[in-house]
Amino acid sequence: MILGRFTLKCLLVDYKVMARSRDRTEDFKDAARSAALSLGFSESKVAAILASFIMHKPRQRSPFTKAALKTLESIEALEQFIVKHRKDYVDLHRTTEQERDSIEHEVSAFVKACKEQIDILKNRITDEEGNSKAWLGLRGDNSHVDTVAHKHGVVLILSERLHMVTAQFDQLRAIRFQDAINRAMPRRKLNRVANSESPDILKSNHLELREPEELPAEPLRVQQQLLDDETRALQVELTSLLDAVQETETKMVEMSALNHLMSTHVLQQAQQIEFLYDQAVEATKNVELGNKELSQAIDRNSGSRTFLLLFLVVLTFSILFLDWYS
Amino acid sequence: MALNLRQKQTNCIIRMLNLNQPSNSSGNANEEVYKILIYDKFCQDILSPLIHVKDLRKYGVTLYFLIDKDRKSVPDVPAVYFVQANQSNIQRIIADVSRPLYENFHLNFSSSIPRPLLEDLATGTLKSDSIHRISKVHDQYLEFITLEDNIFSLAQKSSYVQLNDPSAGDRDIEEIIENIVSGLFGVLATLAVVPIIRCPRGGPAEMVASALDLRLRDHLITKNNLFTEGGNLGSSFQRPILCIFDRNFELSVGIQHDFRYRPLVHDALGLKLNRLNVQGEKGAPRSYELDTSDPFWVANGSLEFPEVAVEIETQLSKYKRDVDEVNKRTGGQDGADFDGQDLIGNTKHLMNAVNSLPELTERKKVIDKHTNIATVLLGEIKERSLDSYAKKESDMLIKGGIDRHELLSVLRGKGSKVDKLRFAIIYLLSAETTPQSEVEAVEVALRESEVDTSAFLYVKKIKSLNVSLASANSASKNNIVDWAEKLYGQSISAVTSGMKNLLSSDRQLALTRTVEALMEGRPNPEIESYLVFDPRAPKSSSGTSSSHLKGPFKEAIVFMIGGGNYVEYGSLQELTHRQQLAKHVIYGTTEILTGGEFVEQLTLLGQKMGLGSSSIPSAH
Repeated sequence: MILGRFTLKCLLVDYKVMARSRDRTEDFKDAARSAALSLGFSESKVAAILASFIMHKPRQRSPFTKAALKTLESIEALEQFIVKHRKDYVDLHRTTEQERDSIEHEVSAFVKACKEQIDILKNRITDEEGNSKAWLGLRGDNSHVDTVAHKHGVVLILSERLHMVTAQFDQLRAIRFQDAINRAMPRRKLNRVANSESPDILKSNHLELREPEELPAEPLRVQQQLLDDETRALQVELTSLLDAVQETETKMVEMSALNHLMSTHVLQQAQQIEFLYDQAVEATKNVELGNKELSQAIDRNSGSRTFLLLFLVVLTFSILFLDWYS
Repeated sequence: MALNLRQKQTNCIIRMLNLNQPSNSSGNANEEVYKILIYDKFCQDILSPLIHVKDLRKYGVTLYFLIDKDRKSVPDVPAVYFVQANQSNIQRIIADVSRPLYENFHLNFSSSIPRPLLEDLATGTLKSDSIHRISKVHDQYLEFITLEDNIFSLAQKSSYVQLNDPSAGDRDIEEIIENIVSGLFGVLATLAVVPIIRCPRGGPAEMVASALDLRLRDHLITKNNLFTEGGNLGSSFQRPILCIFDRNFELSVGIQHDFRYRPLVHDALGLKLNRLNVQGEKGAPRSYELDTSDPFWVANGSLEFPEVAVEIETQLSKYKRDVDEVNKRTGGQDGADFDGQDLIGNTKHLMNAVNSLPELTERKKVIDKHTNIATVLLGEIKERSLDSYAKKESDMLIKGGIDRHELLSVLRGKGSKVDKLRFAIIYLLSAETTPQSEVEAVEVALRESEVDTSAFLYVKKIKSLNVSLASANSASKNNIVDWAEKLYGQSISAVTSGMKNLLSSDRQLALTRTVEALMEGRPNPEIESYLVFDPRAPKSSSGTSSSHLKGPFKEAIVFMIGGGNYVEYGSLQELTHRQQLAKHVIYGTTEILTGGEFVEQLTLLGQKMGLGSSSIPSAH
């Protein structure tokens, strides 16, 4: 009916050539060829243009991009290193404490090196910015604004990536601390239990010993009793000392973990505070400039006011004069 | 297999940001890690609900700009363009490539770029001898905005006005249908499904359905097309059903006041692209983001407003309890015991507390945000007495009428002008027959409150025309030559059927009932007259109705032409939750409108028909 006729008409006109897939580069090349021919390019030129689509010239990169890519590679190498040694690090039985310490040491050295590279990149941006500004006499060339912003973005991406990798490693380290604490705790518990058991055993032994040995010589027994008492006292003292030492050990471990945690937070805050400080400094500069502009405006305003007043007065007098004259 | 539109669209965008390379080529990706993203206004709206700016850095995007902005050169970096395929964008791209602003260009168009524009691009870049800088050209078929997992909008403004405009020409209507079809095609291409299309007879729905069917058929002819990319072979049980409706099917839903949280925030405070701007407490405007990452919003979006306030209270008290517990454990009290055991436990609790602090601050932020929103909302509700409007309107729609005295008192009472107009229109739509005296009294009351009555008169005219045209329609079908008038007539009969549905006792929307019936596939008198289109079936068998076309469907895509809102979305989601079988419904519309905006469109139509109380005739 009418419906069918209308829709078919519009569809057949528009959808003669429809894209079948998302990649339209082939269609674009076709269009380029036909456009080149219609513009009257020579055959060789057309062929050259089409060839350039397939084979790209090797791209020259700016030194900044090269350095950024190298830093990215090193961060990825660090990540792979951590992944490779993750099982060794976490599992209690595969490595000794020393090996674990050495892994940690290596990782922190690596992280420091990456951080240095990122800082170099950041300084390079500000240096280049400063250079270009000095060269153009503080005229403020706008054409590099986007490039500078892009470089800042690259540095930001790199530092975020590094942060992610170090966070991963921190998690592993936290697991290691947890294991250390857990190992310390049961030993204490075990000792406590053993402690509470041993005096009982000693006492029961003592009781047992007392009965058959009632008859032998009294002074010997007294001496032995004294000795026994002394050894028992020493034992108790030593075990309590051992307890205290182990407690301090676990406390130290926990404190170092907490310390580490706090330091990351404090560092983050320090960065934020520094950023706020910079912004505040900039704000004061802006306020100063604003004040200057305001005072200039006031001067001009008052200046123009006196001028206007003078003008009106002169006009009034001239009108009066003319009136008196005629 | 649940269709998650948002996920699929995000995946497409991520693939585009990775320069359309397969994701597991690690060595290659290093070469082009840092890129710049350029988009235009429409594509910015597409991107903003999906990706946050800070996530862009994850994919190596260092800078992002609008295409119209004055941009400076950044040598040595590839640029990814995501724009609509129109003439001004092409010109801008040619200018950028010729300068050249960037090292090379990856062009992505949100819909299929037509051949003439492609040739323009080629000619322009050949003239400036910089065509070798264009690396790739892609069609992304992403010209729609996904707001949450299951709701999308085509962002085509004023489609209701244009479709129902009595003075619209054939060419205009065809163009609009064209745009809608291409948007829907993009949705289907992203989901990589070929659905079975059903729609009511007559009206824009039928036109869109048949045009879409033709387009899909045309596209599926080649073997390697967009729909085999997803690897979906489309057996009948896995194919979803696409139901297309026109706004005139159920006009009242677009106008009425609703009292649930999400529609209320959208209607009263103006939620746009999941962003909300409200006046904060200190008078500073604050902007909030309300999307799937906000757990409170997801959980309580469909509750009524008083329940939402209660929910906020409970969350707040729970949060306070948790904070107190954390404080207690970590020595917030006075005495620090030096008992060894406790100290060890203390430090462990301290560590746990520090680790759980970010989560607690997140929760507090969410609670604060919603408290703020609820306070502002409460102010609005009190000022306009929205609760009484919502309640009276729903009563009217269920009972089918309202006491005259009550009606007039509401119209003279509190509320903004738009609220009163909406109330009056709902009154018209709810009653089968409205005595002339009442209607006149309503008009007088509206004019007293200085309300522009064009919209009211337009709906009245539609309703009255329905009485006279209903018989004429069936008799004189052959005589109607003018296309727009026929469309007009169809919309009127649709309005009456929509009104009849409103009179059912259950407050379920007609749309939800119809979709349920269509998905179940059992014979139902309501949907008997609905048309079926199956793009995969060969043309010859389109007459016979094969059984699998009407079988129960597990998934549905519901599309509303002319404007939709969160009320419909909410009721469709309720449908999925109610059923025992896992059903999945995606809701889409040409644009998401608040009640006020929709009434504006009705006003425009009224003025175009010359019905307005304003004496200036609209000149077009």
